[in-house]
This record gives sequence, structure tokens and C-alpha cells, in this order.
Amino acid sequence: MTTASDPRRSSALLDTATVVNYDEPPYKTPPALVVGPLAWVRDNLLSSPFNIALTIVSGILLIVLPISFFGWVVGQANWFVINFNLRQFMVGRYEVDAEWRVALVVLMVAFTIGALLAAFSYVSRRLPILVGIVVALCFIVPLAINTVLPLPPTYLAAGDADIVSGSSTQPPVPNLGFVARTGETVRLRIAEDLSADDPTLTTLHGFGDIGANLLRASAAGRLTNEARIVEIDALFAADLPNARILTDNQRAVLETERGRLAVTPPITESTALNTRSIRWRLLDATLEPIGSGTLAPGDPFASVTLPADGWYILEKTGAGTALLETYGIYPLIERNFTRSEVRDESGVVTQQAERYNEYLRMTDSWITRAIRPEIDGDPVPMTIIIDTQYRGDRSLNDYLRVYLAPFLEATNDALLWIVIAAVFGFGVARLADRVIPSPVKALKPRAVSQRMGIYLLVALPVLMFVFIYGIGIGGVLPITDTRRWGGLLLTIMLSMVGIIASFPLGVLLALGRRSKLPVVSAASTIYIEFVRGVPLIAVLFMAQLLVPLISPTLAEVDNVFRAMVGIILFSAAYLAENVRGGLQAIPPGQEEAAKALGLAGWQVTVFVTLPQALRLVIPALVGQFISLLKDTSLVAIVGMVDLTGIAQSTVAQTEFLGTRREVYIFITIIYFVFCYVMAAISRRLEASGSGAARRV
Amino acid sequence: METQIREPIIVCRGVNKWFGEFQALRDVSVEVMPQEVVVVIGPSGSGKSTFIRCINRLEEHQEGEIIVADVRLTHDVRNIATIRREIGMVFQQFNLFPHLTVLQNISLAPINVRNWSRDKAESKARELLARVGIPEQADKYPGQLSGGQQQRVAIARALAMEPKIMLFDEPTSALDPEMVREVLDVMKELAGSGMTMVVVTHEMGFAREVADRVLFFDQGRIVEEGTPDHFFDNPQHPRTKLFLSQIL
Repeated sequence: MTTASDPRRSSALLDTATVVNYDEPPYKTPPALVVGPLAWVRDNLLSSPFNIALTIVSGILLIVLPISFFGWVVGQANWFVINFNLRQFMVGRYEVDAEWRVALVVLMVAFTIGALLAAFSYVSRRLPILVGIVVALCFIVPLAINTVLPLPPTYLAAGDADIVSGSSTQPPVPNLGFVARTGETVRLRIAEDLSADDPTLTTLHGFGDIGANLLRASAAGRLTNEARIVEIDALFAADLPNARILTDNQRAVLETERGRLAVTPPITESTALNTRSIRWRLLDATLEPIGSGTLAPGDPFASVTLPADGWYILEKTGAGTALLETYGIYPLIERNFTRSEVRDESGVVTQQAERYNEYLRMTDSWITRAIRPEIDGDPVPMTIIIDTQYRGDRSLNDYLRVYLAPFLEATNDALLWIVIAAVFGFGVARLADRVIPSPVKALKPRAVSQRMGIYLLVALPVLMFVFIYGIGIGGVLPITDTRRWGGLLLTIMLSMVGIIASFPLGVLLALGRRSKLPVVSAASTIYIEFVRGVPLIAVLFMAQLLVPLISPTLAEVDNVFRAMVGIILFSAAYLAENVRGGLQAIPPGQEEAAKALGLAGWQVTVFVTLPQALRLVIPALVGQFISLLKDTSLVAIVGMVDLTGIAQSTVAQTEFLGTRREVYIFITIIYFVFCYVMAAISRRLEASGSGAARRV
Repeated sequence: METQIREPIIVCRGVNKWFGEFQALRDVSVEVMPQEVVVVIGPSGSGKSTFIRCINRLEEHQEGEIIVADVRLTHDVRNIATIRREIGMVFQQFNLFPHLTVLQNISLAPINVRNWSRDKAESKARELLARVGIPEQADKYPGQLSGGQQQRVAIARALAMEPKIMLFDEPTSALDPEMVREVLDVMKELAGSGMTMVVVTHEMGFAREVADRVLFFDQGRIVEEGTPDHFFDNPQHPRTKLFLSQIL
């Protein structure tokens, strides 16, 4: 029963008019978004107090962190460790004779990438221009730097007085050996502009020997003490308006400290730095003088042109203490080599045993095997890189000239060849599409290059392995020693084999775990749960250490292969669970429809269930592969030197102590590049084919 | 004209099926003649879907016998495979393979089960697509088609195997009313061309027009069966009358 107050019965609504809309409103374009940049900032960054705070904090971090980071990169980081060890990082101790194979493999990979880009990707017009610019820069920049910027000087301490700083004492070194080439000029003079006062002395930057460093350090230390004394005196002054009230305890502590610090005269004055003349002689390797002279403070550069490649000795003597500014004398690294005797089958010696040293000059990587001279029976002290380091905050010019230019020079050839190979691959793929006929040309214009790309992709790992490892028979590609594999080469080989072999094994395990046959299902489950309960390190240890105990024949298998097997077995278990998740997500109607069509069990799996399941779990699978790439770094613990292992062993060398940050940043960048590429491929895979057309 | 004595193409005798403790089919006995169109109706949970799924062994019956085209349905995998080749099924949820194009969906089974060449399978597929009225959709993915189009592709996919029997499990229940017509038209054309069909549906109009026989299921058993005229104009069993009064 309804009442008169029921709103549904109100009279206004009883007269429902009939409306018929014959005219259609036109389709219009959407209104232009009225969002200028300021409006965007206001809406997205400053919309609420929390947002404003977040914007300010992020802004500060985004400005301050990169600045301080790049300040460190340019001013303090020692990038010579990367330049010098580049080959180790890339291929470890791989045989020099077989290096061409690595180059060939890299070019094949670049070719394949180019072909795949042509076949599957949309390459914008801007990409080749960008790549061209980058490659051109890699050649132009080092050339420009080397032409325009000079090498930094080397500061050497001279004189007969000991140099003291804190608890370190450096006795005078009258003779210093160095290597140089024909025609180079050695210039030297007294570094007068650094001897005005202590603050100026602390600005010394350039290569310097221990003496130069001690001078700088003692000046800096003295300035610090001076500043501290001023600070303490200010605290004691009770009649200043904003002096703090000190407790007796604090006063006592400060007085002790004040007592320890003494106002010492400036270093430049107390050592009488650069006040007296220095006598110098330049000797060649046979100790014959090729130049000599006296340098007084204020004299211009003395210079000597060197007649031949090899060793030279700078003799510098005089009273007092002087700091010499020299050009042409640069730090060295010494490397010791022994080659054992090699006999052929009949016992004839084909290669003598030898022992020799190599000396590599840091600034241009010139190498000589000349024998180091001796003075009075002792080898002459030389400008080794441990002692003669770059001191002080590096200027941008020095960073560019000493570190960036050599790095670009070492890598620009490789980069050029890689780009050429990729462009070649791109061109071949496009040409194939244009020239080779295909029945589906109208529908799928890139069918030919896509098929070619897939073949290349499938053949590539096989070719990579064959070339890097070699084939024993025929003598064409002798087998390389896998104990010499290292660096990025080893990381890539382990990851590639691991990924490619563990994927089918993982799929089989997943199908096995879901099988209705109890034995198969139980065996798969036990395997998966056991392997997932054990850390990869333990698996690697078992592979390296326990396997030989089980069977002597297995002990002969290379370490690298044992690690590969361990990684494959480990990764397959995780992949199996990912794939099983995907299989579970397929609606049962799919299997029913397939069976209703008459497809056999295995056909249902291969044609219907598995393709859908794999496409579903692409993110999880690729995530597992990315993890695998990074997990290969664990082989560093079982004695193989992959990229991380090389990093560890490099940092342990005496010449490169303290270069942890640089080395680990470098390998981080390398790992990141590879992982990011894999992630990008995963995104492309997901969007391709039926994925693009799928409506959820 | 002689009337030939025709053997029934589907024979079910005393079929019983349990899901655990629950009995879904109770003593179901049916004979379907070749080229007959049998429509199965009934309330939900009455066992009609279970019944036709037992015919092509998507469900297993525990008691009784089912004989299709002279092949007895047992645990023998080869029998099952033989039977499934001769029966096509169309599902309520279409169950098209989303990762394959329409053409690939239709030609998958003929290529892999009947071992046809790709060309033969594809030309047959295009022919069937034309028959169901959507020849231009051949290279699209199922996700790009409307519901009615998808179901028609599903029918074409089942027909590609050249089956003797077509089973339909509520083929139009998941479709918009506008699309129901296009699918029913295809099914009518199929019936007119002489295909043996067993159709579970709620479309009474279709049953009245096309069916040779109507079966009414309730709680796992066949309550009443007869010609459409008998069924809709003169039902006998009170349960049948109740059901019809509620849906018509």
C-alpha cells in the first residue's frame, strides 16, 4: 500500500514524457589538455605539504649526490686500475693466441643483435644518429684530449735533508730510474710556485714521489694543528660575548691538547724549501751522462732530449730540501714473467726457459723489457706506481688526460667493430626481407628476417661454446684450457650454458611434478624440494669437492664444467616451480577443449598448455635468469675467477690497494648492463604476438 | 523409398556416475540416431552437462555402458582417442586457444591428429570460417573477437575434424542476447545439413524449431523425453510441467 507521501508516487514523476533522440551528437576530438610545465609542477610536485617536503628532499638529494659522486670520480678515484686490467676483466687469463676467437664471438653476437633488431623491433630514425655520434665521440674525444691537454708534472724531492711528517721519515733519494722513448724530452725546474707558504704547498697535485707527498702532508698537518690551536684559544677566551661556559673537566682536556700542539714554524721556512740550488745529471742505462746542470730557484726549465728507448737515471743532489717539477718522468708498473722450457716429442728444446721483467709506463701504456740498471750493485730505485702516485685533488684536465683518454683509446676500436657488425647484421636482415620471396609477404613483411633471426639466435650459443672452448679433432680449433677462462668471458659462458640447459630441464621437472604417474611425480618433487633447500654455494662446493671423491673419472672433468652442471641443476628446480605456477593458471577448459578435439596428452601439453603457461610466467622466468647471471659470481668462492673473482684479485694487488670502490663500481655497471638488456627483452617478449592482442 | 534400418550412433545404457558420494547420473539410458538433433534441457545441477561430457569421456562413468559409433567407451586410451576424433564439442566458455590465431586454432587438430598437410588444413579452415560467416577474421587472435564470433570459431574448430557427432554444452549461455542469434543460426544450418547433434541449452525457441527430440533431465535422471510438440504443448510429468511453467 502506498501513501501520498511516497516519493515514487509524487505527481511530478507520474507525467513521464516520452523522449525520442533522433539527432546524434557529433564525435568530437577531446579538449586539449591545458597543462603547461608550471601547472604540471604545481599539480604533481607541490600539491600537498607532504608532496612539497618530498620534492624538496628529493631535489636536494638529486643535486647533491651526483655532484659529490662526480667530484669523487674526477678528483680522487684511481681509474688506472680499470685501464690496466681491462683485458683481465674481459677474458681473464685466456690464451693470447686464442683471443681472436673471443673477438669473433663478440662480432657474431653483435651481428645477431643487429639482425634481431631489424626483424623484430621498430628502430626509430634517431637511433643510428645517436649511435654514430657516440662512436664518433669515442674517437674524437681522446684525440682532442691528448692534443690539447698536457700531462701533469711529476714532483720529486731533492736535497740531502731527511723529510719528516708526523712519524714518517723519508731519507733523500739521489738516484731515480725511469723509462722513456726516443725523442722524448725531460724537463725539470725547481717548483718555486709551491714554496711561497704552507697553504700553497698543500695544493700540490700531480704525480709525486714519497718525499713530495710527505712535504705536502706535513704542511697540511701543520695547518690543521694551527687551526685547532686557534679554536682552543677561542674557547678559553672568557671575555667574548658568546664564549661557552666550560666545565673543569672539559677545560683540563683542552689544556692537555693545547699543550701537545705546538705552534711550529711553517714547513716551507723550517725546511728552507727551495732556497738552495740543486745539481742534476741525467744518465742513460750504461750510467753515461747525457745531460747535467745546476738549477737555482727561479731558473727556467732545463731540458734534455733522450736519444734512445729504455732506462734513464735522474741524479739529483744538493744541500737542504728542494721540490723539483719534472715532465717526462712517469710512474711505472713492473711485471715479472717466467716461461718454462718447452720440449717437443723428441725431447728437443723448442723454447728456452726464461725469466724477464716488463716495465709499463702508466701514462701511455708503453712497455719495455729493458733491464733495470744497477748502481753500486743495487738496482736503481724507480718511479714505481705504488710510491709515485697522483697526489692531491685531481684537476679535471688531469682526469681527462690520464684516465679517460686512455680508457677510450683502449675501447674505441672494439666499440667501432661491434657497431659495424650490428649494422651489417641489420642490413643483411633488411636485405633478406627485400630480396628473398616468401609466401606470407603481404601479411608478415618481415617473415624472412624473423625466421633468420630465430635461426641465428638458436645457433649462437652453440657457436659461442664451440669457438670459445674449441674442438679437439682436426686441429682447427684446439681446445682451450678452461682453467684460464676468467672475467666477463667466464661469467657469460656460465650464465649462458646455465640458462639454456636449465630451461628445458625445469620444464620437464614441472611437467613431471604435475604428472599423474606417482613415481614421476614423487621423484620430481623430491628433487625440487631438495635442491631448493640447499644454497648455491653448497651446490658448487659439492660439485667441486665431493664429486671427485665419488668417482675418479668424474674428477677429471674441468672445474668449469662441474660449476656449470651445479648451476644447471640448481636453476632447474626454481624454474620448475615458476613453470608449474604458470601451468596451474591455465583454465581447465583449455585442456578439455584440446582433448575434445582428439589431441593426445603430449600434444595438449606441447601445443596448448605449455605455450600459454610459459607466456604467463615470462616475468618470473626472466627474473630467474637475471638472478642466475648474478649468482655466477659465487664461483669466485670455489676458486674460479669470473668477473667478481677478477675484481677481488685485482684489489688484492699491491699496486692497486685501496681501489675497491672503482673496481666494484666498474663491475656493477657491467652486470647492470647485461641484466637490464635481459629485462628489456622480457618486456618485448611479453608484448609480442598474442600478448599484444590479448584482452584480459 | 525404402526406410533403412539405422543403427543408433550413440547408445547409453544404465549409465551411473558419482562425484565422490554424490550421484550425478542415475540409470540414464538414451539412444541417438544418426542425423538426429537431440536437445537436453533441465534445471541447473540436473546432470545434463555431465551427461554429454560422459559421451566424449571428459567425465568417466562408473557404471553402465556408452557405445559411440560402435566403439565402446572404456578405460582403453585408444578407444577414447578414436571416439574423440569423431565427436566435436562446443563449450559454454568457448575455450579457444588464445595464443593461436583463429586459423591456427581451427587447423591445429586436423594437422596433428588427422595428419593433414598445412595447406589442406588451412583451406578447410577458411571454408569453415566462410560457412559460419566470418571469413575475414582468419588472422586475428581470439581476444580480438566478440563473443558471438568466438563461439562461431569454436564451432568451426570442432567441424574441422569432420566429426560424425557434435555436442553443444550451453553454447549461447555466455553470450549477449544480440549475439545469441548469430550462433543459433549457425547451429540451425548445421542441423539442416544433417549433422547428429546433442545440444544442452536453455533456448526453447531453438528446441522447438530444430530439435527432433527433447530430453528433460532432473536430479540425474531423464524425467521425460519426446518430440518438441509433445514436450512443449503436452508435457506429462508434473516435474516437467513445473519446469516449463517457470521458464516459458
